[in-house]
Amino acid sequence: MIESQRHSYHLVDPSPWPISGSLGALATTVGGVMYMHSFQGGATLLSLGLIFILYTMFVWWRDVLRESTLEGHHTKVVQLGLRYGFILFIVSEVMFFFAFFWAFFHSSLAPTVEIGGIWPPKGIWVLDPWEIPFLNTPILLSSGAAVTWAHHAILAGKEKRAVYALVATVLLALVFTGFQGMEYYQAPSTISDSIYGSTFFLATGFHGFHVIIGTLFLIICGIRQYLGHLTKEHHVGFEAAAWYWHFVDVVRLFPFVSIYWWGGI
Amino acid sequence: MAMAMVRSGLLRTALRGGSKTSPKRGFASSAHHDDAYETAKWEKITYLGIASCTALAVYVLSKGHAHHEEPPAYPYLHIRNKEFPWGPDGLFEVKHH
Repeated sequence: MIESQRHSYHLVDPSPWPISGSLGALATTVGGVMYMHSFQGGATLLSLGLIFILYTMFVWWRDVLRESTLEGHHTKVVQLGLRYGFILFIVSEVMFFFAFFWAFFHSSLAPTVEIGGIWPPKGIWVLDPWEIPFLNTPILLSSGAAVTWAHHAILAGKEKRAVYALVATVLLALVFTGFQGMEYYQAPSTISDSIYGSTFFLATGFHGFHVIIGTLFLIICGIRQYLGHLTKEHHVGFEAAAWYWHFVDVVRLFPFVSIYWWGGI
Repeated sequence: MAMAMVRSGLLRTALRGGSKTSPKRGFASSAHHDDAYETAKWEKITYLGIASCTALAVYVLSKGHAHHEEPPAYPYLHIRNKEFPWGPDGLFEVKHH
């Protein structure tokens, strides 16, 4: 098969993972609606769907890693395609967050009479932006510096340093998530407290969720770096994780400046 | 804007795997030296970041946080349309019953 191939494109083999992922998504959606409306069996179907999705993600990406390492399908031109794909994905993520900021500014720039005509709404206590919100911003930025350290270490062929740098990146990410959890726990309002709670927890919650995804992505990169999967010339997975991490890092600045600071004073 | 990015070569450089294919690079050995230098530089920046974050964390956490009295029961606060699947209380809430 490989001998007869006269081009550098990767023609993928048939795979069961798209249909298994789709079924998992269907079970998650239906199970989620059932659970939230207290139907019997909702929680079971939701858990089953989530387990199915997580399993699919694991085996699908395991296959991609095998195609890249053992089978050597990720030629220069395939790597180019992967980078294009990932950049488009990040562009879609920018639009996703754009919508939440639209909702926030729509509600906060001209507060309606129903919430007292002021922002934050009458009766809403907000977090002091100069406490944990301010602390968490440089923590995430330092994590961004650490991932840049890892990138240069990979390019310089310093394999061990790259692992240490990724450990530092992930630890800072976990500290960020820990503080974010503490902040939510101590927050004087919840998502059910007016449009303020809705916009605040939607934007910061989805950002926090993206931090967790990025952390998992970086943990995988750290393990792959330790196993010697990433080389000076070929480390697309790491590049994608680093781009994603910088994206999450930059997105953090917007909630901090607009939602916590401008919207909280 | 996308076209300007393509023309500037910024996107193209990123897509081709960073600056190592940049036409401006010097000899292969000097490019390697740059990465070693950059590695050391960003390692220092990371340590500096960790040190300042630790100092800031000690300061912020030592201050404690404000406790607020309960606001009047405005209709837009503590919204409940139906019970949660797990019971009457929200996840991060003070109990209201």
